Amino acid sequence: MIRVLKTVLTFPRHNCGIPGCSPSKSVRKVLCRNVNSCTEQKFDVIVVGGGHAGTEAACASARMGARTLLLTHKISTIGEMSCNPSFGGIGKGHLMMEVDALDGVCGRICDKTGIHYRMLNRPKGPAVWGPRAQIDRTLYKTEIQREVQNSPNLTVMAGAVEDFILGQCHNPDLDTMKQRCSGVILESGEKVYGESVVLTTGTFLRGMIQIGLEEFPAGRMGDQPAIGLAKSLEDAGFTIARLKTGTPPRLDKRSIDFSKTVEHAPDDPPLPFSYLNTEVWIKPEDQLPCHMTHTNEEVEKIVMETIHLNRHVQQEVKGPRYCPSIESKVLMFKGRRHQIWLEPEGLDSEVIYPQGISCTMPEEHQLRLMRAIPGLEKAAIVKPGYGVEYDFMDPRQLKPTLETIKIQNLFFAGQINGTTGYEEAAAQGIIAGINAAAKVQGKPPFIVDRTEGYIGVLIDDLITQGTNEPYRMFTSRSEFRLYLRPDNADKRLTAKGYDIGCVSPTRYNHTLQQYKEVEEAIDKLKSTVKYMQQWNKLLQLPMSSNPKPYSAFQLLAVPGNTVEKIAMAMPEIFKDLHLNRQLCHKVFAEGLYAQELEEQMSQIEELQKEEQLLLPENIDYLRLNEISMEIRIKLDDARPASIAAASRIPGVTPLALLKLLQFVKRALNKPQSAGTLPLESI
Amino acid sequence: MANYCMSRYRIFRNLLHTGSVLDSISARCTTRLCLELRPRLELPCQRAVHTQGGDTIFALSSGQGKCGVAVIRVSGPQAKESIHQMCSFRRFPAPKSTQLRRIRDTDTKEPIDRGLVIWFPSPKSFTGEDCVEFQVHGGPAVIAAMVTSLGKLPSYRHAEPGEFTKRAFMNGKLDLTEVEGLGDLIHAETEVQRKQALRQMEGDLGKLYTDWRNRAMKAVANVEAFIDFSESDTLEEDLLCEVTAEVDRLWTEITTHLSDHRRGERLREGVHVVIVGRPNVGKSSLLNSLCQRPAAIVSPIPGTTRDIVETALNVGGYPVLLSDTAGLRETEDFIEKEGVFRALQRAKQADIKVLVIEATEFVHLLQTDSIDDIMINHLKDIGLVSRLQQNTVSPVNVQTVTKDGDLQDDANFISNVGELIVVLNKCDLISDVDLAFIEDIVQKKGCLSVCHLSCTSGHGMEEFLKVLQRRLAHVCGNPLAGSPSLTQARYRFHLEKCQGHLENYKKYMELGDVVLAAQSLRKVLFDIGKITGRITTEDILDIIFKDFCVGK
Repeated sequence: MIRVLKTVLTFPRHNCGIPGCSPSKSVRKVLCRNVNSCTEQKFDVIVVGGGHAGTEAACASARMGARTLLLTHKISTIGEMSCNPSFGGIGKGHLMMEVDALDGVCGRICDKTGIHYRMLNRPKGPAVWGPRAQIDRTLYKTEIQREVQNSPNLTVMAGAVEDFILGQCHNPDLDTMKQRCSGVILESGEKVYGESVVLTTGTFLRGMIQIGLEEFPAGRMGDQPAIGLAKSLEDAGFTIARLKTGTPPRLDKRSIDFSKTVEHAPDDPPLPFSYLNTEVWIKPEDQLPCHMTHTNEEVEKIVMETIHLNRHVQQEVKGPRYCPSIESKVLMFKGRRHQIWLEPEGLDSEVIYPQGISCTMPEEHQLRLMRAIPGLEKAAIVKPGYGVEYDFMDPRQLKPTLETIKIQNLFFAGQINGTTGYEEAAAQGIIAGINAAAKVQGKPPFIVDRTEGYIGVLIDDLITQGTNEPYRMFTSRSEFRLYLRPDNADKRLTAKGYDIGCVSPTRYNHTLQQYKEVEEAIDKLKSTVKYMQQWNKLLQLPMSSNPKPYSAFQLLAVPGNTVEKIAMAMPEIFKDLHLNRQLCHKVFAEGLYAQELEEQMSQIEELQKEEQLLLPENIDYLRLNEISMEIRIKLDDARPASIAAASRIPGVTPLALLKLLQFVKRALNKPQSAGTLPLESI
Repeated sequence: MANYCMSRYRIFRNLLHTGSVLDSISARCTTRLCLELRPRLELPCQRAVHTQGGDTIFALSSGQGKCGVAVIRVSGPQAKESIHQMCSFRRFPAPKSTQLRRIRDTDTKEPIDRGLVIWFPSPKSFTGEDCVEFQVHGGPAVIAAMVTSLGKLPSYRHAEPGEFTKRAFMNGKLDLTEVEGLGDLIHAETEVQRKQALRQMEGDLGKLYTDWRNRAMKAVANVEAFIDFSESDTLEEDLLCEVTAEVDRLWTEITTHLSDHRRGERLREGVHVVIVGRPNVGKSSLLNSLCQRPAAIVSPIPGTTRDIVETALNVGGYPVLLSDTAGLRETEDFIEKEGVFRALQRAKQADIKVLVIEATEFVHLLQTDSIDDIMINHLKDIGLVSRLQQNTVSPVNVQTVTKDGDLQDDANFISNVGELIVVLNKCDLISDVDLAFIEDIVQKKGCLSVCHLSCTSGHGMEEFLKVLQRRLAHVCGNPLAGSPSLTQARYRFHLEKCQGHLENYKKYMELGDVVLAAQSLRKVLFDIGKITGRITTEDILDIIFKDFCVGK
């Protein structure tokens, strides 16, 4: 069987670009059936779940060259966008760019499936630009499935996972690691073996859907929850808590009176997500608009009237403070007007997604609520809104690689770790996928730290602080916002990803080449020095009496100046630099923030020094008697990877840090002879 | 070089991850620990010469108290600058040579003092960075002038507690035994700093700083909300105008505060020694005998002292602020209740606590209990142990505080002898046999400072003064102890930074770059956080989510 698999999997990557054309598809299907019937199949990496974390993890692992199996309830729901029909945003867009820099899939697919592209925060500067797009749900799913099907090394199989195959852990990284995961057991009792397992079950663990007072088990509307798996995780000793989230009712486009709403036009030209693309698939004029309306007093009244019929709202489970349901909005911010965005779900779709009004009241009241809103007086509901409550794992049980501290070779990624959002899920997915494969291949762990990317901020926050609401990314979470920009994620991460093997040589060379050009352009700008008076004349700037000479690079910090403008004014030096939009933008961002960046870089260096003071993973914090019990428990919960991470845990004092350092040093000092031996042999 | 280290370090990590090398070694866990640490510890050594960039730090590194010479240490990439700016040389001094020079203010060039200047170029210095040592006369005025003057140099700042040692550690300058010893130092420094912060935070100054902190947090939250949410959510339109107005107000207030030369601020120089105990055990008598004048009213009625009586003393050259407090007991009297609350507050901030117990009672208890049990029970009884753990704010709450200090903490508390001197008063009332018995037990229990004396007869007073002096020496051996002026200098430094950041905020807002402006405001928070305690992202997000309904 393995031989059969290999022959099939060495199929050349098919990419003719015509939707629906996939010659290997039929072969795949046969293959899947074969796997189904063949028990005791062995893989390098098994990814459970086909959402945004799952697909990203499976593709990353496959790119690393690991034989990967993507296991999901239904093959037809791989790449399903369960909630809003959009990708990106401020902070979230940053994450997507980083996923793309690591050769991830979501950015590239969004460039092929978006129907309304918009760069948020454009006037505020390149550090906080938020690439965002409305995505055609159906197209996205099709494209993702095609990508998955066409990935070499990747096999897809339908099945519900009930339990893990656990064995004894022979070389634990941690004292807490008693067991090692070596595969999964399906509902049918079949066993599938894999060296590493990545769990990306989203909201499916003991998922409960709530509408009004009604409540029933489901992972997503129309899909079965994973109950057996949740039980298995509980039995394995993981700390589990519950979170909730919600989704709005979907409306029929034909029933909406758009004349009463404000139209929001997309960007022209639309900018792509992926660093590999210079443009997106759709013509600027073919993009669809979004519309905006708002709530009013009537909406508030209906919400208050139906609170007693609303199980979701009455419960104490934590929901997100960001993106709250309309019920929470009304309860917390009475008497305000809230925006509602009417977003298209697809090019040919007649469904409209009313963003900002997720609700869980009984369906008939949802209709009343909708019809109170300007423009929606005659609205018809296609699918009612609902709330979902689900289990998540306390993310402090994870290492920075997203491997669990309790079970070796088991990784968690996505909503299972208490996050919300497609982008947050994708970011974790790619890290878990890379590390699951790296572990099997004997490669070093792949860790993005806080100074390298928003992915690092996300994972570090999760694993050291935990979370008590669905975690979402904002740019305010990053200390190094001027450096961690959407324009330079490739500079920060692509080479690192290439080193571990998850980035293709093509992309790596593309990035190298591009940054060579960036450096050249910056050098040229820096060496072009003129007096301010000359610049004023040349660029037609308002006159100023500044007598100092300035380089063209310094000039970029002056409002109104762009690389394009300077390049066009001096074609003899810069030739046709202004034609390369991407390049100009990268150079511009460097110039704009140059002064502050210098300071930020020295802070980054400082922090990285502290991050290098790693703490051994097997410290028994509870036995460190010199530290107060309260702090010991905090340290034990978070299991920080370094002194720097320990210092970020709220409540950990400098004294405790020092004691920790001392303890580690003392332990080092004791068995010196044993320790130096392998050291010398390197 | 750095890359070399990194790659070497990664090799170790790889090995550890796969565990391939280690499996054959029997003592696996400990070996792994060694392996993991060794490259990390080597890493900084290799980089010793490379710690350029970063601030240059300075601090007084000699002890407090009346001393002839004070040593001020400067370390960092710009250390050389201090010599250039403060002394004049025909030829720059040779490394490690001692030069007597007139030392001048960096700005006004007015002479501060004549003193010794020593130049230690990197890497052969205490921290491994470029270092300069100034040895000047030990008076507070000279030290203050030196510190202020150094603070005016660009990229100079006052060292955080333990920062010299941290840098030395990072540069591989400390061997293992030295790092062991370092703990005590930083412990002392952080403890002292915490107490000093408490002292400063009490009263108007504290209120002022906290108010600035809260307003700066709010301003940051508004700007951050504007960056992250203004495109998709309805925020107030004049949000940024409000922030700019607030920044203006903050700037004006901080500027006024900095320019009033700390008028109206009461500097409490000296080591804080607080006398505590049950009512009528002779606390006020002790205070009076120590200062040799009837500073506090003494009467046989329990609860005579209600408020705190302070007096400044000079004990063996160390400046001391001695406080007598109300007797600790449960009471219904509102005024006395407040007195007890204040006594406990004061005890919490003290550098040294003198616990007065009646000798007769002590002898009585010794017949049944061990000395440790007596102490723990007594401390619990008067509320010193459990209440010290709490941040009680209101006198009303004091009575309802649960005594939940667990045994572990009690033991820590007692064993921390540096903090506590036990005085058995009225030993003229017990027999010589009992006295000998106490002496015997106390001697066996060497670690705990127990003195017996009689305020009426004066017996044992000298012995007590000796013990107190030893404790003072211990506390003052610490460079940061008992010196509010140094803390003040640090506050001043950070407030001046804030001033600059606020100006930058306005500059960037005028240029229309909200991200750079936000960066300046974040720096304001960082510097205020250095005074009032760290401010986390979560604090900011809390404000955002409370004030704005965000999420489209």
